[in-house]
Amino acid sequence: MAVFREINAKMIEATVVPGQRLYSQRGAMLAYRGDVSFTPNLQGGQGGLMSMLGRRVANEATPLMTVEGSGTVLFGHGGHHVQVITLTGDTLYVEADRLLAFDGTLQQGTMFMGSQGGVMGMVRGQVSGQGLFTTTLKGHGSVAVMAHGGVIEVPITPGRAVHVDPQAYVAHHGDVRNKLSTALGWRDMVGRGSGEAFQLELSGSGAVYVQASEEKL
Amino acid sequence: MATFRLQGSKMLAVDMTGDSVKAKNGSMVAYDGRMAFKKLSGGGEGIRGMVTRRITGEQMTVMEVKGEGTCWFADRASEINLVQLRGDKLYVEASNLLCTEAGLRTGTTFTGMRGASQGNGLFTTTVEGHGQAALMSDGPAVVLRVGRDYPLTVDPGAYIAHQGDLRQSFQSGVTFRTFFGEGGGEAFQIRFEGDGLVYVQPSERNTIAGDV
Repeated sequence: MAVFREINAKMIEATVVPGQRLYSQRGAMLAYRGDVSFTPNLQGGQGGLMSMLGRRVANEATPLMTVEGSGTVLFGHGGHHVQVITLTGDTLYVEADRLLAFDGTLQQGTMFMGSQGGVMGMVRGQVSGQGLFTTTLKGHGSVAVMAHGGVIEVPITPGRAVHVDPQAYVAHHGDVRNKLSTALGWRDMVGRGSGEAFQLELSGSGAVYVQASEEKL
Repeated sequence: MATFRLQGSKMLAVDMTGDSVKAKNGSMVAYDGRMAFKKLSGGGEGIRGMVTRRITGEQMTVMEVKGEGTCWFADRASEINLVQLRGDKLYVEASNLLCTEAGLRTGTTFTGMRGASQGNGLFTTTVEGHGQAALMSDGPAVVLRVGRDYPLTVDPGAYIAHQGDLRQSFQSGVTFRTFFGEGGGEAFQIRFEGDGLVYVQPSERNTIAGDV
């Protein structure tokens, strides 16, 4: 399993050993030591041709590269904050463009978020400015995600749902249902709203990662 | 009572038990429990407050957040600083005010020429009473003490807020050189005298002062 070590808030160091690989966003390598090779991954990940097509259609095809060899690599991108999330068998949901690097053993997939909540899923994509599809990573290993400003982890426990501003949402993991909740009143229609008309409601058990900003990457 | 705590330096967590806080419009990033959001308007309540806002241009759009649970606030990854008020008055630019406890009164006051040099208008927001307020800054703010014998001079673009018994005056270093484009880029400053605290950020907003 590849090891991600946080150097500072905006940089991580990954250790690569022979026989193991990891994927990273193309161009996110800052420096490396040892004998490491970087090959562009035309398929944008793993899983063969069909899953590539899936990602293309879903517009979740951020260019990736495969990192192999033996040594250590520093990753960072655009001065964004980096958060390392460790998965222990559960699934992480994250937008593809927020993925900085992840363990090659993790299973990558795409998921139609619109299916959770029917028409509201559609609306949610529009509101959050994020697509109707999101990338999933499943298995045991580490993932480095990017965010604007720092990231906090808010636990989601049964009976205590967490509401997140769609623009501040970064990723979530665990057994979590999400839906778009609206607090649209007549005040919002006449431009006197509180500015918090839409929220993403996450319930179940797991955790959600929230960035300290309402700006996209 | 609502308790304010920082989670990292850029995220404010407010724990509430049925009480409320006032926060900058749209600054909520997440919450658990039950919360309700209602728009208020800055510059004080009622007709007088409305007139004040119209005249002063301190159009701080504020919402009231009420509920039980934890609410997280952040705005464009700005650094957040907590200020404890014990019956005194805090003067702060509306754009730098993130959140205040409900027990604090907010109003608008005349600042004189300082506002003009900052491009922020001639008025500033005041927060008064007992409780906590959260201020935003571009980079971590420093708190500088002004004593009877230690006046302080601040770049208008780096000023965020002040509290205590302070007189402020506007200083201009405009000379004939300024008009030939030979100025030092520090043509205007604010001078604080008296006894109190001044909050300064390690960054400069665009002001007229920086251009001359």
